Parts: sequence; C-alpha cells; structure tokens
Amino acid sequence: MTDVHSTTSKAAPGPETADLDGEATRPFGTGPVEPTESGSGGASGASPTGAGWGRWAWRQLTSMRTALVLLFLLALGSVPGSILPQEGSDPAQVTQYFTSHPGIAPWLNRLGLFNVFAAPWFAAIYILLFASLVGCVVPRTFKLVGSARTPPPRAPRNLARLPQSVTYPSALSPDAAVDAAASVLGGQRFRLRRPAAGDAGHWLAAEKGYLREVGNLLFHLSLLGVLLSIALGGLFGYKADELVTQGQTFTDTNSQLAEFHPGRLVSGSDLAPFSLKLDNFSADYIDSGASIGQPSGFNATVTYTATPGGVAKNDDIQVNHPLSVDSDKVYLIGHGYAPEFKVTGPDGVAYDEATPFIPANPNTMLSDGVVKAASASLGFEGVFVPTAYMANGTTLESIFPAANNPEVSLIGYSGNLGLDSGVSQSVYQLDTSQMTEIPGGPHLMTPGSTWKLPGNLGSITYVGTAQWVSLAITYDPGQIPALVCGILAIAGLLLSFFIRRRRVFVRAVPGPDGVGSVVTVGGLTRTDASGGFEDEFASLAADIADVSSPSSPTAGPAAAADHQKPEPNNQSETGA
Amino acid sequence: MSVNAGLAHVSTDFMIAALLIYSLALLAFAGDYAFGRPRRKAMMAAAPVAERAAQLAAVGAASAGAVLEQSEPDTSGADAPGPDATGPAAGVGRPGLAAGPSARPVRPAGAFRAIAEAGPWIRAAATLSAVGILAHVVAVTTRGLAVHRAPWGDMYEFITALTCVAAIFFYYILVKYRAWAIGVFVMGAIVIALGLAETLIYTPAGPLVPALQSYWLSIHVTAMTLSSGIFFVAAVLGIMYLVAERYRKRVAAGKAEANPLLDRIPSGAQLDKLTYRAVVFGFPIWTFGVMAGAIWADQAWGRYWGWDPVETWAFITWVIYAAYLHARATGGWRGVRSHYIQLLGFASLLTNIFVIQIFVTGLHSYSGVQ
Repeated sequence: MTDVHSTTSKAAPGPETADLDGEATRPFGTGPVEPTESGSGGASGASPTGAGWGRWAWRQLTSMRTALVLLFLLALGSVPGSILPQEGSDPAQVTQYFTSHPGIAPWLNRLGLFNVFAAPWFAAIYILLFASLVGCVVPRTFKLVGSARTPPPRAPRNLARLPQSVTYPSALSPDAAVDAAASVLGGQRFRLRRPAAGDAGHWLAAEKGYLREVGNLLFHLSLLGVLLSIALGGLFGYKADELVTQGQTFTDTNSQLAEFHPGRLVSGSDLAPFSLKLDNFSADYIDSGASIGQPSGFNATVTYTATPGGVAKNDDIQVNHPLSVDSDKVYLIGHGYAPEFKVTGPDGVAYDEATPFIPANPNTMLSDGVVKAASASLGFEGVFVPTAYMANGTTLESIFPAANNPEVSLIGYSGNLGLDSGVSQSVYQLDTSQMTEIPGGPHLMTPGSTWKLPGNLGSITYVGTAQWVSLAITYDPGQIPALVCGILAIAGLLLSFFIRRRRVFVRAVPGPDGVGSVVTVGGLTRTDASGGFEDEFASLAADIADVSSPSSPTAGPAAAADHQKPEPNNQSETGA
Repeated sequence: MSVNAGLAHVSTDFMIAALLIYSLALLAFAGDYAFGRPRRKAMMAAAPVAERAAQLAAVGAASAGAVLEQSEPDTSGADAPGPDATGPAAGVGRPGLAAGPSARPVRPAGAFRAIAEAGPWIRAAATLSAVGILAHVVAVTTRGLAVHRAPWGDMYEFITALTCVAAIFFYYILVKYRAWAIGVFVMGAIVIALGLAETLIYTPAGPLVPALQSYWLSIHVTAMTLSSGIFFVAAVLGIMYLVAERYRKRVAAGKAEANPLLDRIPSGAQLDKLTYRAVVFGFPIWTFGVMAGAIWADQAWGRYWGWDPVETWAFITWVIYAAYLHARATGGWRGVRSHYIQLLGFASLLTNIFVIQIFVTGLHSYSGVQ
C-alpha cells in the first residue's frame, strides 16, 4: 500500500535503480510518473489557463505529499473527539460542559468540537483524502492492466550491477544455459521474455508478483467501500433507545420510542413493526473476593412478536447476545432499578407504577429518581440503594449492587409540578420552583412501608422493587457491505505487503576458452515490504545453477543431466 | 467460574522468573556490547546477499560442498576457514576470498548456527532469552487457565501479554537477521515494561465483566496484543535508528569522537529496513484487530463504530502508521522523518493504553487499574 500515491522520487531514481542499465531503470511501481515541482508539465507551467490550474490543483491533491498531510490532519482532527464530550455519544456530558465552562464552550461549539466526527471540516479532510486516493488509484488501475499485457523489460547489459547478482561457469552452451534458466523460472510461474529475432546475445528476463499491485489497489478501493458503507448506514439506518421496566411492553413505533435517531432518508414508517415485552431481568454479581460487586452476568428474558398479530416468541437478550428481529437488532445496553410507588392524594390513588431510577454510582447501583403525582400535586425526589448501609448512622450508602436490602430515601414536595406550563420536562427531574418541601424528609422507607404525609396531603407507599433495562434498536444496512469491504481491505493489504514484484535476469556468454559458458543471474525488487528477496534470489540462483551447470559437484551430475537438462526452448516472447 | 488461586500463584511466580531471566539476558547482551569481540559495522548479517553470494561464490567448487553442509551444526570450521576470523555473525562471510567465475551460487545457510558462532555472550544471551520467553509463556498461559479465559482482560494482563509477544517477535528477528546488536535495546525495553507491569499495575486474577464475556475477547484483544508487541519492537528499532543516524552524522561531521559502543549499532539502512518490516508485519494485524473490535462492538453495543475514545485512538494510531508507510515512499520524508512518524504512531498507541483507557471514561474502561 505504500505507493498508491505516485511519488516524486520516481522522477529521480534512488541509488538502487540509478545503477541499472536500459529498461531496467523503468520504475517498478508503474505508477503514473508524477512531474516534480521543477519539471512539471508544460501547459500549466507556461501560461496558466483555467484548465491548467485545474490540472495543477489535481496534481497537488493526488500527490503523496498531500495525502500524507491529509492523513496527519485526519489523525490530529480526531483527537478533540476523544477528549471533549461528544453530542453523538454523550449529550448530557456536553450540556454539563457548557455549564462548567461557560466561557469557552460556545467557541468550541462554533468549531464543531462537540460533534467532531460530523463536523464539516472533518468531512472536508476525509473527502479530500479519498479524492486524493481515487485520483491515484484510478490511473494506476489502467497502468496495471497495461503492464499485465506487456512483457518484462529486456535484460540490462551488466547484471553484476543489479542489487542481487551471481556469476558462475556452466558446461552448457550459452543458449542451453539460458534455456535451462527459462525452464526453472517458467516452472516458478515467472513471466518470461527472450531475445527477439533481431536482438543480440543470450539472455532471459523474468518477472513475477503482479498481484502485489492488485492487492495495493484492492486495499485502497476497499477503504473507499468502507466509507460508502458508513454513508449507506447513515442515510438509511436508524438507532433508537428505549427504556423498558419489567412487565412492560413497547412497540417499535416512532411515538413510543424514548430516543429516535433516524438516518437522513428514514421516516417513522420505515421502522420494523415489532413489539417486545420484558418478562424478567436478572443481574448477577460476584459476592466475594477481590472483585466483589463486579457484575458477572446480565440476562433479559423477553417475549416479542415480529409483526402485529404475529406469533409471540421468547428469547434472551444478553450483553454480547443481541436479539435479531428481521433486519433489526435489539441490544441490552443498560439496566437499573425501578422502585414501585403508590401515591394516594386527597382524591384517591394518583400514582401507581414502577419508576425508573438512574444509577448515580454504577458500582453500587445507588440511583436517583423522581416521582411525579401531578393530580395529587405531589412530587418526590428519591435516592434508591439496593443494599442499604448507614455510614456513621447518618449517610445512606449502598454497599452492594444487588437488591439485597433495598431502601429508598425520599424528600417530598407539594404544589404545582409545572407539567402544564408547556415547557417540556425531563422525567428524571422535578421542577420544585413552585413547590414547597414537605417536612419530615428525607424519609427512609423499606419495601411495603408507607409514609403518611403531614397536613392531610396524602401518603406514599414503597410497594416493591422492579428492574428496568435500556434497549437499543438498530438497523444498519451498511453493516454487511462494511464488513465485506473490511475483509477485502485486509486481503489487499496482505497481498501488497507479502507479495513482492521482482525481476530476475539471466545472461550467458561463451566460456573463456570457448567451452561452456559463463552465466550471470541478476535480480531486483522495488517492493520487498516483508523482506526475503535475498533468500529467494539465492535459492533461485542455486536452482538455475543446478540445471545449467550439471557438472557441479553439489548438484549430483547424473541426476541433473538426467532430468533437469531442458529441451531447447525457442519461444521468443511469451507470458509464462 | 471462580479463579483458580493455585494457578494464579504459579502465574505470578513465573512472571517474576521471566522478568529475572530477561534481566540476566539483558546483562549478557550488554556484556557482549562491552566485552564481545568487536564486529565492525555490527553485523546484522542481513548483509546484502549480493555480497554474501559473492563471498560464498568464491569458496570454489571443492569447498562449496562444505559451505552447504554448514547448515548441519557439527561441521563447524572443520574444513572451512573459521568464520570467527572476521566474525560476521552470519558465519557466511569468509576471509580473503575474491569473487571469481569459478564459483556457483549457494543457498542461504541455517540461522541458529549463527548464534553458536557469535561468541559466548550472545550464546548466553540467546539462551537466557529463550528460557525467559518460555517462563513468560508459562506465566501468561497459567494466568489464562486460572481465570478460564484468554489472559488479556485487564491492563496488567494486556501488558504482560504484549511484552511476551514483543519478546517472541524480538527473538524471531534476532535469529532471522542475526541482529545481536538490537538485543540490549529491545530486551532493555521489555524488562522495563514488564517490571512496570509487575510493580505499578499488578492486578490479581479475577473474572470478567459481562461486556468482556465473549469469544471476541480472544480475537480482538489477541490481535491488538500481537500488533502492539510488534510495534513495540519497531519503536525500539526506530529509536536505535535515530541514535545511530545522529551519531554517524556527528562523527562524519567531526563533531563527535568515534565511540566503540555506538559503532556496534547496526547501520541506519539495516535498522530502517528492519523497522519497516516490523511495521509491515504489525500493520495488517492491527487493522484486523480494529475490525474484529468493530464486529464485537456491533454485538455488544449495537454499532460497529461509535468514536468511543479508545476506538478513536486506535483509529489515530492506524492513520499514523499508514502515514509512516506512505512516508517511506515519499521523497523528502524517508529516513529520519519517517521514523519520527513511526514513533509518533507508537506514542499514540501508548497514549491509548495509559491515558485514554485509564483516565478518559468510555465504553472501553476495563483496565482494572485503580
């Protein structure tokens, strides 16, 4: 992957290639040879026309340097997204940041730093990066197709100057020695080129490893595919959160969902019409040892119907085990306690339901919540502790997250709850501005106990404790495409790293005294990312020597002469 | 499932044993630096094969057989000129032989033999390293058996597994490229990292929170551990490269005295190549690890990518290493600059482990470090 972007270096060959003769200096990458700053293409340099500037800008954008800078910007731009609270993942934290840093928060907000990954400037970086990538990949794809059709270049004159080379004597005639080498390299699926009719000398050019470039292109195109898949999910997918208490049923419709984040092209009617009932929820905790209180398992038992009037099915939802309903998935993403209260006002029962409390301390499950009995003009702020413990006899604390000894501490208020004011209120907060505190709070309650409120206001009974879960319902049509592209990207990466494009050349000249020949084998690679060409070349050279020099003491003369001696092979220009 | 306390103790003991043995290996590598036979230009005998082949080629028809046989351990120096004479650790360079047309190419020689020929300090260091790695593997394995899961569920486990990977990858490079001279640096870094893990962030063996109870733990965290261990070695090589380049430039410019210890650091070109190969090895594994994490995140949290702080930093690290790979192919960015990028990549990896996972609250807050 290292050189999808054409490099300026190709215009100025490095020391490795500078030494080579003739066609072997042709750069290996076969990428579009990018003009350097100094020697850039004529038209735009001399008299900048609109098209000229356009070409110049495009060349700048698709240069490796620009790609590097954009990569850095992408990395740098991501940093604030991990340090500042983000709208996407934790809007409550963002609100809190505004409260605690009133001076700087609006400025950060103007820069989009509370929603970095949806900010226009962030999008600009990655869109430019991908434009740069496309600008390199597309021309290179054509180049690859072209190079797959052309034979390797002719052998350079002086093979000894290649990075890898070895010279040895052979008993065979020059022609036969080159034939022998051709049989070895052809057997290893090298593409071969022999001298054409008019060419002088006895030589062979062989090339292998075209898949490297295929992998390189595949990797970059797959990254583009991942980006498009994410966009697909953003346009047509949706995510919704729903809080369900034990025994409750909810239907996957727009109005029923607590939080709904639709994609740009999703409307409420696109939701899968299933309904789901939370039958039971259990949380297990480790009750001894060093990690006491750490959860060891969560399980939500649910009954669901995929379509209205459909067959009801049972299933379990666990943390790493979502429920699939058609193309939607339902995840267990949170849990908490919902103490059940019954509020009786002067006119009778005003409130009777399990009330979700939000964990303030996830380790002990000490939770906060409010009860709003508007018709009785009563409101309560409460703290729930699953395993109560009175520290110093005054502070209520929880010492274990399971509901072993649940208690609730309530502060009561009477008056106008402000629910009719038209201003929307959080169900987890009580607006006490028009209310007066009821004396006697905080009042400690155990399950079944009743707090008789003074002054004939009524009473509140802590009936018992249920649990709630928060479920995320998601639909992401980009998921499978993203996965496929990701797998292709890795495949491309592996191809481009572990296949090397290499050339091996063989030249043979008649031996000094007219007998046999002197064979030189040379090799080079430009893209040996994972290394090992040295060893491969040494083995190849040894193989070639074995067949082209059968008199050698190591090769076993008889065996070599027997079956290794190749038939003269008159192919001139072939792809093997 | 509860923790098997006996096995957990075995694990702790072996981990400390590994640390001690690594320290001894480090001493041996340092001893080789200080007292070993001088090896000019510090042979990582990844000496270009052109050179090697030329030397080999010169051995002549009669002794060519002997050279080939060198892959057998017992023929050392019997009829071949003693490789110790010039001491290229590869044992393939032979003195006083000129390339000539009377030669023939020879297959590359065996690798382990080179250790035996590299002198007593390297023999000791290599042996100690191998024993240390063995103890380290036992420690990691028994920790896993004690808690009935892949032993990289918390920060302590992650670091001990990471250093185990680094040690194994280091050993692979040591043997494959005869890179004796990197031993003191890599082993030094491993000893420091493992020592810090033992003292600062030791966490007793314990069961996992539900979010981690998935077979994706073995896949995702294994890949992240493997690639981090490999990047660890690459970072040490990168620092060596910068030290070597700076030193040689200063000596060439007459600004510094030749220093026999620094002379032993392999050449910049060799270190550059080794670093690149390490990153090339680690990068696809990192990519795979991030993807496996995305698949797991999709199962556990309902989305495959959500810019959780740890995800963000894995992405940043990936982008920086990608920049390094591109920089090596860009004029003006090769060499020193590309190594700074590579080290920046490792710095972001460390930031992710030690800053983001511990101090920034996110879905990945599993470190167990208080």
